[in-house]
Amino acid sequence: MLVFVQTIVAGILIGGLYALIGIGMTLIMGVMGIINLAHGQIMMVSMYLTYVCFNTFGMDPYLSLVVTMPALFFISFYIGKYLLVPLIGRDSILPENQVLMTVGIAICLTETMRFIFTSNYQSVRTGYSNKAFYLGDISFNFPLAVAFLIAIGITVALFFFLMKTDIGRAIRATAQDKDAAVLMGINQQRITYATYGLGAALTAAAGSLLLPIYYLFPDLGGPFTLKAFVITILGGMGSTVGAILGGLTLGIAESLGATYISMGYKDAVGMVIFLLVLIFIPGGLKRFTKI
Amino acid sequence: MGRGNRVVGWGVFFLLLTGLIWGPVPTNAQEVIKVGIILPLTGEKAKFGEIEKNSFVMALNEINKAGGVKGKKIELLFEDDTGKPDVARSAVEKLVSKDNVVMLGGGYGSSETYSIAGVAQQKKIPFLINTGSADKITEQGWNFVFRLNPPVSEYSEAAEGFFKDIAKPKTAAILFENTLFGTSGSKEVEKSLKDLGIQVLLKEGYEHGAVDFKPLLIKVKNGNPDLVYMISYVMDASLIMRQSMELDINPKMFVGGGAGFTLPEFYQNAGKAAEGVFSADLWVPSLPYPGAMEYFKNYKKAYGKETEYHGAEAYAAMQVIADVLKRAKSFSPEDVRQALAGTDLMTVFGKIKFTSYGKMTNQSKVPTYLVQWIKGRLECVWPKPVATAPYIYPHKPWKGR
Repeated sequence: MLVFVQTIVAGILIGGLYALIGIGMTLIMGVMGIINLAHGQIMMVSMYLTYVCFNTFGMDPYLSLVVTMPALFFISFYIGKYLLVPLIGRDSILPENQVLMTVGIAICLTETMRFIFTSNYQSVRTGYSNKAFYLGDISFNFPLAVAFLIAIGITVALFFFLMKTDIGRAIRATAQDKDAAVLMGINQQRITYATYGLGAALTAAAGSLLLPIYYLFPDLGGPFTLKAFVITILGGMGSTVGAILGGLTLGIAESLGATYISMGYKDAVGMVIFLLVLIFIPGGLKRFTKI
Repeated sequence: MGRGNRVVGWGVFFLLLTGLIWGPVPTNAQEVIKVGIILPLTGEKAKFGEIEKNSFVMALNEINKAGGVKGKKIELLFEDDTGKPDVARSAVEKLVSKDNVVMLGGGYGSSETYSIAGVAQQKKIPFLINTGSADKITEQGWNFVFRLNPPVSEYSEAAEGFFKDIAKPKTAAILFENTLFGTSGSKEVEKSLKDLGIQVLLKEGYEHGAVDFKPLLIKVKNGNPDLVYMISYVMDASLIMRQSMELDINPKMFVGGGAGFTLPEFYQNAGKAAEGVFSADLWVPSLPYPGAMEYFKNYKKAYGKETEYHGAEAYAAMQVIADVLKRAKSFSPEDVRQALAGTDLMTVFGKIKFTSYGKMTNQSKVPTYLVQWIKGRLECVWPKPVATAPYIYPHKPWKGR
């Protein structure tokens, strides 16, 4: 029983971070209608920024959220403006040329970081990196727990933003019906790249939160892009609440798989859940939510 | 499009044009001998590819400066396998059919090396492996494939000597990454531990690049073994050690099976959690081989970083390649193959001579060592005659350090 509870706890904690990565991709999916295949790479760039802040200015990784989120928002805002939006409506052989563009962006980001920081593995070692605290017999990894709480905070703030502010409403309107949104006087192009920036800022936050626990190298993006993709599909393509559920489901499934089957099949367990959801709940987990 | 953009456009165009003209300057008018080297230069294993490439280039420059081979310079054509077997395969095909290389070298990851070796044998081009270590690569009876490094099953020989003579553990847990390298290594380790009468309580694989190893480590903690043997690349290795410290797992010794545990990055990333960890190792600079220390010092001078056994393997491979090309009657694949088979050369990595034993063919046999991280330095602790520091055993519990 203890092992079971411990496993669930570990799954939920990591699931919170997954959710944060997934929400970013989901927002972009909802508004732009494309899968952002540079998502994990954007997170990787944010992690390098966190790393530089830590090493040069001694800035705590959690504090560096105030640097990485705006920085990645602006970088991605302009990527969206000059690289992605201009492709809408261009004739091309492949219909999804924006998706191809995100792949190109991903490669450029990876190789630029390799050029600057080399392929060496880097990590940030804070005083609390290996700390744990105990509730009863259940151990909570301190940085992971903090990351989870911050992730919840950011998600709540995002909901407030989407529900209560004008820009938030405009984003939701664009996601629901582009033409109607334009008719209502929404500057759809600006909303599009603002959303790309917002999605990137969320994944940037996830990167800063992950760094104290994990490590960093230029090719780290790929696996996380894949995770975000799985979460987005699990959540039902474009649903924010669905993405939160998707992230938690993936985290718990991986953790259970690692404990009760084998850690070697951790990713396989995630994929099996993914397939089951596609077969039995094709709309994704958003079927269970109202938003 | 504004005028400014057009100017920039033309600027880029001209830059590209001059790049095309001045880029591929012919290295030498005189004929060169081309050797193809396949390494992971990008991707997750790029770190190791970089050490090996630097070492190859270092040895190559020394050889070419000394007059090359038969009055000709050697040229190395590096191809990037990106750590993927399918890419490795197309890289070999390009080197063989387009560049007409006389032989192949390199081979880092076991899965990639296996696919390169398959193509090399099929195309009948001699291939000298310097790192890929899964046993089955030289167990196929492929006569064009030679391996300079020991197979992974022999990595732990020195460690086993230490278990038998000093540590005498009763129980063990084996953790490995579920790749060709880790899986085949773990099987051999399990077998040899059983032969020593050590009970294996747990043997479990994991997926490379995991964030959280605690589900696995909790099982280790519950089993409370005397010995934890890990076959991991560098960052998994650091995370496993950091999380073992967090969970306060205290076996009598932590032993790494080479690969990640000997790199300076392991200590940098694991920090205190690396202290006292043992590892199997294939090479240390203090070994009494001619040129070993010079290679270590020159590498540090040239690249500002320390090298380790992977680099020494690559450097030695270049020494062997030059020696083989010197002795080959002609540069036809068959003559080069015969010259390779007749190799008997002292290198920085030890004496290289290819023999066939057991199921293995064309496999060189070099001794292995047991090293330990002591106060941030990687010290050789076993076998005794080459030790640079006394070993620390048993492991000090994490709490109260």
